[in-house]
Amino acid sequence: MSLILVLLLVAGLVPLVPVLTRLVGRQAGWLLGAGLLLAAVLLTRVGPGSGTISESVAWMPTVDVSLRLRLDGLSMLFALLVLGIGAVIMVYSTSYLTGRRPTGFYALMTGFAAAMLLLVLADDLVVLWVAWELTTVCSYLLIARSGPNAGGPATRTLLVTVAGGLSLLGAVAVVAAKTGTTDLTAALAHPSWSGDPLFAGTVAALVAVAAMTKAAQFPFHSWLADAMVAPAPVSAYLHAAAMVKAGIYLLMVFAGAASHSPLWPVLLVSVGLLTALLGGLFALQRHDMKELLAYSTVSQLGLLVAVIGIGTTEAMLAASVHVVAHALFKSAAFMHVGLMERRIGTRDLRRLRGLGRSMPWAATMIALAAASMAGILPTLGFISKELIFEALLGAPAAAAIGWLAALVATVGAVLTMAYSARLILTILPGPAPAARPWRETASMSAAISLTALAGAGFGIAAWLLTDLVAAAAAGTAGTTVDQVGSLYLWHGFSVPLLLSVAAITAGVLLTVWRGPADRLLDRRLFPGSGVRAVQALHDGTIAVGRRVGAATRTDAPAAHLAVPVALLGSAGLGVLAIWPGWPTTMRPHAIDVGLLVVLVVGVVTVVRARVRLTAVIAAGVVGFSVAVWFFVLGASDVALTQLLVEILTVVIMVLVLRRMRPHFAPVRARRTILAAGVALAAGTTATLTTLAFTGHRPLSPAGEYFLREAPGLTGGTNIVNTILVDFRALDTLGELVVLAVGALAVTALLTANPPAADNPLTAARNPLSDPLRNAVFLTVLDRLLVPLMLLGSLYALLRGHTAPGGGFIAALVGACALALAYLSAAANRSGLLHRPYLAIAGSGIVVAVGTGLLGLFDASFLRPLHAELLGVKLTTALIFDVGVYLAVFGVILAALRLLGTPSADLPGGPARNHPRQPRTAQRAEVREAEGAVS
Amino acid sequence: MILALTIGVLVTGAVYLLLQRDFLRVVLGFVLLSHAINLLLFSSGGINRRTEPLGGGPPSTDTADPLPQAFVLTAIVIAFAITIYLLALAVTGRPRTPQDRPPEPAPPEQPAAETGTTTTGTDRTGEPTEPQEVTR
Repeated sequence: MSLILVLLLVAGLVPLVPVLTRLVGRQAGWLLGAGLLLAAVLLTRVGPGSGTISESVAWMPTVDVSLRLRLDGLSMLFALLVLGIGAVIMVYSTSYLTGRRPTGFYALMTGFAAAMLLLVLADDLVVLWVAWELTTVCSYLLIARSGPNAGGPATRTLLVTVAGGLSLLGAVAVVAAKTGTTDLTAALAHPSWSGDPLFAGTVAALVAVAAMTKAAQFPFHSWLADAMVAPAPVSAYLHAAAMVKAGIYLLMVFAGAASHSPLWPVLLVSVGLLTALLGGLFALQRHDMKELLAYSTVSQLGLLVAVIGIGTTEAMLAASVHVVAHALFKSAAFMHVGLMERRIGTRDLRRLRGLGRSMPWAATMIALAAASMAGILPTLGFISKELIFEALLGAPAAAAIGWLAALVATVGAVLTMAYSARLILTILPGPAPAARPWRETASMSAAISLTALAGAGFGIAAWLLTDLVAAAAAGTAGTTVDQVGSLYLWHGFSVPLLLSVAAITAGVLLTVWRGPADRLLDRRLFPGSGVRAVQALHDGTIAVGRRVGAATRTDAPAAHLAVPVALLGSAGLGVLAIWPGWPTTMRPHAIDVGLLVVLVVGVVTVVRARVRLTAVIAAGVVGFSVAVWFFVLGASDVALTQLLVEILTVVIMVLVLRRMRPHFAPVRARRTILAAGVALAAGTTATLTTLAFTGHRPLSPAGEYFLREAPGLTGGTNIVNTILVDFRALDTLGELVVLAVGALAVTALLTANPPAADNPLTAARNPLSDPLRNAVFLTVLDRLLVPLMLLGSLYALLRGHTAPGGGFIAALVGACALALAYLSAAANRSGLLHRPYLAIAGSGIVVAVGTGLLGLFDASFLRPLHAELLGVKLTTALIFDVGVYLAVFGVILAALRLLGTPSADLPGGPARNHPRQPRTAQRAEVREAEGAVS
Repeated sequence: MILALTIGVLVTGAVYLLLQRDFLRVVLGFVLLSHAINLLLFSSGGINRRTEPLGGGPPSTDTADPLPQAFVLTAIVIAFAITIYLLALAVTGRPRTPQDRPPEPAPPEQPAAETGTTTTGTDRTGEPTEPQEVTR
């Protein structure tokens, strides 16, 4: 059994969730819990005590990123917590949840567990970061789906934790760049941690910030209390094992390396102790049981962060034990809150009374959990607190600092004792409240009891935990297991015990005098709150974005187009800096000059035209001369394509023209002058740029390669076509997708927003408006021409590999045939156009991808297969070209069909949208029109 | 030299048209610009070797570079697809300027929720625009 299989087992539970919830509904939690537990058992089988196991599966070998996994003491500790607590919470959820089929909840919780497991097993910086972000996403989704008011808290949680994720990404990038590997173990053992203080300091700061956002340390603590909108099982998991513990895990992983920087202990100890104090104070202020517990987590994690900052073996042992203790008592407490919500209907401490009478068992359990939280003998919380005091006192820096830290921690412990005692003393005594019956609460009670009893039981039987936590502490502190002390409940009379007793006494006093204490505390401690700060940041960012957007918000195209033109133009000025001199051959060819003259006439006519039709015709002239240019330059394929595209462009433009007024609106002189100025500058820049880049080098190596090798490799002699369908078929496939998306976009646009109706002015003034009489020659000619053109189209497709032709050109020829048939039809509704254009365009992509998949049989996607049949060379590239044909044909057909038919006949056209204009009336109109024509 | 001038002329005309208010002119400007860019792309392969890249055998000194040709070929078709899309945009929605509006019985109002919001204001050119629908 390997690590990757355990990971796959947990991840594989996620797709199973819908099946399970369909079969057994809410009770799926039992099975999922069993799955997580099984994974935990398997992990203990894999991990032989304190040894380390590494595995690696190649992921991105070119950048040395692999799915490296490692199981050492620390990973084992956290993995067992993640899986164990996860299993308990799954069981708890079976009676907590209300929905009949809570598929989303279970899927996300299982995904959360899988992400956490990946995080604690990751031995690769990139994998670590990915897992880190996955936990962020899971927690966001879990919080966001928990109710109508959850949007704000979920977004704020995401903002804070994603900021931390970016910080971690920064750390990953710096470490990978400096150490040259993404292997976590190797990177952490690199000598530059001790040799380069700047590097160590940078990474220490980045990692600390990342961990502090997740572990809710000041000033990032606000999200944890904010996330209280989530249901109890989610909160329990977030606080006990998953989200915040990810931050602690990260700190412990990096502790050995990052502590080479003096910044690390200073940052961690100061922030941690400050957070411990603030969290305790905030917790004392709260009346919502859940909020109290949330701030308690903030405070407890502060202690953990501080003790990790100390970094000694004792400190790591204390941290490891406290992680376990905290996971147990906090999950029990949160699950208890859920039980209160269900049974009593509130979690407000001012209304919860008399639990001791109504629910004695549950009351005992929450009392046990609170005792562990407060660190009272004989719970595990007592042991961990003693260890923390001891570790702080033994700080390696100076005795005074150790004492100061221990005293601050003691004050934190006083506060912890106070809020724990307050929690219990408030809810237990008093008359029994009316508890609602809540289906079966057995599994809820069982889950709470299990964690609460474990918290207490591990205190008495501490030796059971010794192996687990000692391995974790030894690995983190860089020592051997033998050097880590064993766990004892009774440490003898020592300074830590003294501090403990002092803390408990002070806490009790604070509880006894809670009236005066409340009066002192019942005020705002700070002018603002963290939640508000995050929200203000969030709103401010959006407001700034809106303001930036407003500056450019106009629907005049010129305003948007002028900016890129001007920028590109000024970028073109950079050419002058790298001016390579005039091209070597300046002697112009005669035909070039002629083409230039035609083209200038065309462009000037387009620009000066007052009539739309003139502009379109002149643009056609320009297009044709460009086609001839291509032909002159030795590109018959390109020239043919250009020619055909030009024909079709004119056809479609004329279809559009019908719907417009015949003349352009007059243009103001100011606009003309401005536009002309910009245009001349752009034209000059373009000319100079072209001169700078042309005529300075021989045939490119790529071009030479294609010319030399293409006939032999592909069996085709039309090199341009072989590039399109053999060598760079993936590019072509991408272009086909663009074409199909174009067809889709045109369809969506014209279906949702029917085109303007034909302009009667254009129709009346147009001498060509009588289709039947004008098209009589064309109609006759068509009978011969259209089949011929379709044949030619087929011929062009077949010969494309060896001679000018190919899918693009063939499709354009076919589309021209269609356009011709359409134009010569008597009525403007041609049956020829009633084809499923989107299906045709889509099938083009299907054919192309299918051909590409055939290539997998040989070597790789899109690699053409060759065969020889009866002396004829066959290649799958030809089938690929058929895909090209279909895609191109589909998009043109879509345009002809959608722009060439009266709006009323379009799907979703006015006839359907507006019942006032019934379809029959439209049909009658059309019939009338057709009747008049004939 | 002449090709560079051609590209310059095309760009000049294209930019002039792009900066116009009428959408058909903008589309024509885009068409001219695509010609210019295609020729520029083509010129990167050199314009003095003008024999077609057909047939096998070692390339002669006069054979044109096939790679830019392949690029340009697909670029033409893509530009054509975009032109079609722009032309469709040109005739959808309500007419932009009063001159474009057909005197036909105006198409019945569509509910605002379907077609988008109505905005009023002045654009960058300072010319007041009438209330018009912004298609989303």
